[in-house]
Amino acid sequence: MKVRRHADRLERVGATALFVVHDEPRRVRASLLRDIGPVPFPILVDRQRRAYAGWGLARAAWWRVWLDPKVWVQYAMLLSGGSRLRGTGDDTLQLGGDFVVAPDGTVAYSRPQRRDDRPPVGQLLAIIDEFV
Amino acid sequence: MTRRAPRVGDRAPRLVLPDLDGVVTALEDLRGQPVLVSFLRHAG
Repeated sequence: MKVRRHADRLERVGATALFVVHDEPRRVRASLLRDIGPVPFPILVDRQRRAYAGWGLARAAWWRVWLDPKVWVQYAMLLSGGSRLRGTGDDTLQLGGDFVVAPDGTVAYSRPQRRDDRPPVGQLLAIIDEFV
Repeated sequence: MTRRAPRVGDRAPRLVLPDLDGVVTALEDLRGQPVLVSFLRHAG
């Protein structure tokens, strides 16, 4: 979602972004959007996770998520910053992914998550810049 | 059933979904411009 801060840059090069979630819209508004503010791109809802499956996005093994020290460090940082614990949504094991689709409809970049990892925003923007 | 993730050069899989307000968006309709498609793990 960090790419939302670069909406102007995407617009300048004639690109756009689509975000896909599998949580209920009510939860997305109450949680994600409350935390980060408005997102200038469509947020699409895939409750059945058919698109997740169609794009090859798997579910992680529970131990890979919940035994990952980074998860607990993030919780500790949130709590120490005054945040309150809240529910984690429908499925904490569903993995995401980032893709860049070229103007001709082919995939120019593919990065399905293997764990809680995402590519740097700069890397995604650099790929999009190649189409200018 | 989960398919394999698309590789560079593959045709992008179909993506037609409603947004938070129920308005349907199709990736196909954005043909002609580069599109970043980002699937989130969860909204929490």
